[in-house]
Amino acid sequence: MIDQSPYGTWVGREALDMAFSLAAFDQAVSILFTDTGVNWLRAFQQPNDIAQKSVAKNLSAAPIFGVEALYADAAACRRYGLTLDNMIEGVVMCESSSELLHQFAHAAFAG
Amino acid sequence: MAATSLQNYTLVITGAPYSSQAPQTALLFARAAIAAGHTVDRVFLYGDGVHLASALCAPPSDETHWASEWAGFLKNNAIPGVACIASALRRGLVNEAERKRYELPASNLLEPFIIAGLGEWVEATVASSRVLYFHAGD
Amino acid sequence: MALIHTLHILNKTPGHARSLQCMDALRPGDALLFTESAVLALATQQHPEIDVPVFVLAPDALARGLGQCPDGVTQVDFPAMVDLTAQAQTVISW
Repeated sequence: MIDQSPYGTWVGREALDMAFSLAAFDQAVSILFTDTGVNWLRAFQQPNDIAQKSVAKNLSAAPIFGVEALYADAAACRRYGLTLDNMIEGVVMCESSSELLHQFAHAAFAG
Repeated sequence: MAATSLQNYTLVITGAPYSSQAPQTALLFARAAIAAGHTVDRVFLYGDGVHLASALCAPPSDETHWASEWAGFLKNNAIPGVACIASALRRGLVNEAERKRYELPASNLLEPFIIAGLGEWVEATVASSRVLYFHAGD
Repeated sequence: MALIHTLHILNKTPGHARSLQCMDALRPGDALLFTESAVLALATQQHPEIDVPVFVLAPDALARGLGQCPDGVTQVDFPAMVDLTAQAQTVISW
């Protein structure tokens, strides 16, 4: 789960490393973005001028690594003006994060 | 409470000592788990949690030295303590091998902690019956 | 005691974004354990409707001057916290 906004903290990047590692070792894994974490999913991020790598670009490797799904909490998306039209491709909207969580054997934050 | 079956735990600490309570809570939990007959397979330090493995912490003498407390607990119970290599290198925590590889002026990894990749954590999530995270609070 | 589906361990202050997420995630059959700063929930006047068993880590409550436990909340020590994690099918640390 990623619930912290990109660029201002490092927790999300380290969560992504965890998800990619699980996938690399053939474990079924999906990523759920909640709260301010949904801002990871906004299209057209241009972080060059703050000398960071685009988290959206990092995320685009998720299907290649074998991450099964990228879920976005629908309520959080509404709060931050995010719709499928202005988000990166391949995101699944999730109306009930709690219901989704209960379908998984493990759920974890990176920090 | 009803008797519970014995579990084997992996503890993941992501909060740093002296900026969060996470290493303390994790240690008190680990001692209680061992006392109850459970097993602690390993302790994995991730993110800011890697600061717990620094040999260079020098808190005031009237404060608990959490790195020493943890190192003693791990040694006494023969539990592997693993700091994530990516988290550790970013934050300036290095063992002798990494010091040489990156030509750094010093190493600072406290024994018995070792440095290893996230694969150790993945293995733990598969092998341990319980994986517990200790994050920084607020 | 009945088996717990998911044990939610919360260590954030009331009002913290992750505390709110944790409350939203509670489902019948789950249990909630307040540790560290989350024990301050005992001091707030407004108690959200929580339909699952609520536990509080006593050493953290005592440390913060909250040794008096309100009705409906069970104090646990570290050995009892270990029992809770062993009884639950899954544990989420918020």
